[in-house]
Amino acid sequence: MTELILMAHVLFGVACMITTVWIFVDVLHASETNQARIRRMSWAAAVFMWLAFCIAGYWYVVFYKVDKAIILKGPWAFAHSFFMETKEHLVIMLLVLVTYLPIATSNNLVANKDARRVALWVAGLIALLALMMEGEGAIIAMGVKVALLAK
Amino acid sequence: MENTSVSKHTISFGLSAALASVVNALLVVAKEKNQAVLAGMQKIAGHQWVAHSAIILILFGFFGWLFARANGGQGLKMTVNRLIGTIMAGVVTGGLIIIGFYLIGD
Repeated sequence: MTELILMAHVLFGVACMITTVWIFVDVLHASETNQARIRRMSWAAAVFMWLAFCIAGYWYVVFYKVDKAIILKGPWAFAHSFFMETKEHLVIMLLVLVTYLPIATSNNLVANKDARRVALWVAGLIALLALMMEGEGAIIAMGVKVALLAK
Repeated sequence: MENTSVSKHTISFGLSAALASVVNALLVVAKEKNQAVLAGMQKIAGHQWVAHSAIILILFGFFGWLFARANGGQGLKMTVNRLIGTIMAGVVTGGLIIIGFYLIGD
């Protein structure tokens, strides 16, 4: 069950990242035909990230202490002391930005070049931060693996 | 002619996101360096990270709302270049403080 919770948070995190890249490309080609889709996808990205955040938060608060103890006894203690510590705080910035995305895309993106620029910068930042979170998550998982292999 | 203004909520919540990013990082340093802060956050929500997340999200919502009410309800005014620069500066500064702290400060 705990593995399912863990995988669900990765699934929604990846869904947020893919959705945001989609939005970035759609905003580059903003027109009357895709503006409504950009707004819907912005809400979808926010919902995906909130789901990922809440599921990961539940797992972190309830189950992570077991993994943390394993990681800290293994050869990759930095998987917790650096990667988990930074991930759990950088992800709050990601959540704030993705909550802001539907506001940034609520302007008239077809007629307004400045509104498109704001949406592109925010979507780009979200995609990069989400990719960084996925990478950090992989290192944390590897921290558990190498600690168990070293036993 | 192309429209070049963005809504007051785009500016106010964009600025709020930049501010929340920096406060997020400063709160990391404060709770890691001061046990009383950490214990207080633990007490608020049962887990320091839950309290930390809630504080930042509430700050984001509050300051976004506050900035939108400035100038007699017209919201804060600034150019889009400055808005983008402020968001970028806030996120990069917040990120660097967090990474730098766990890399060398902790």
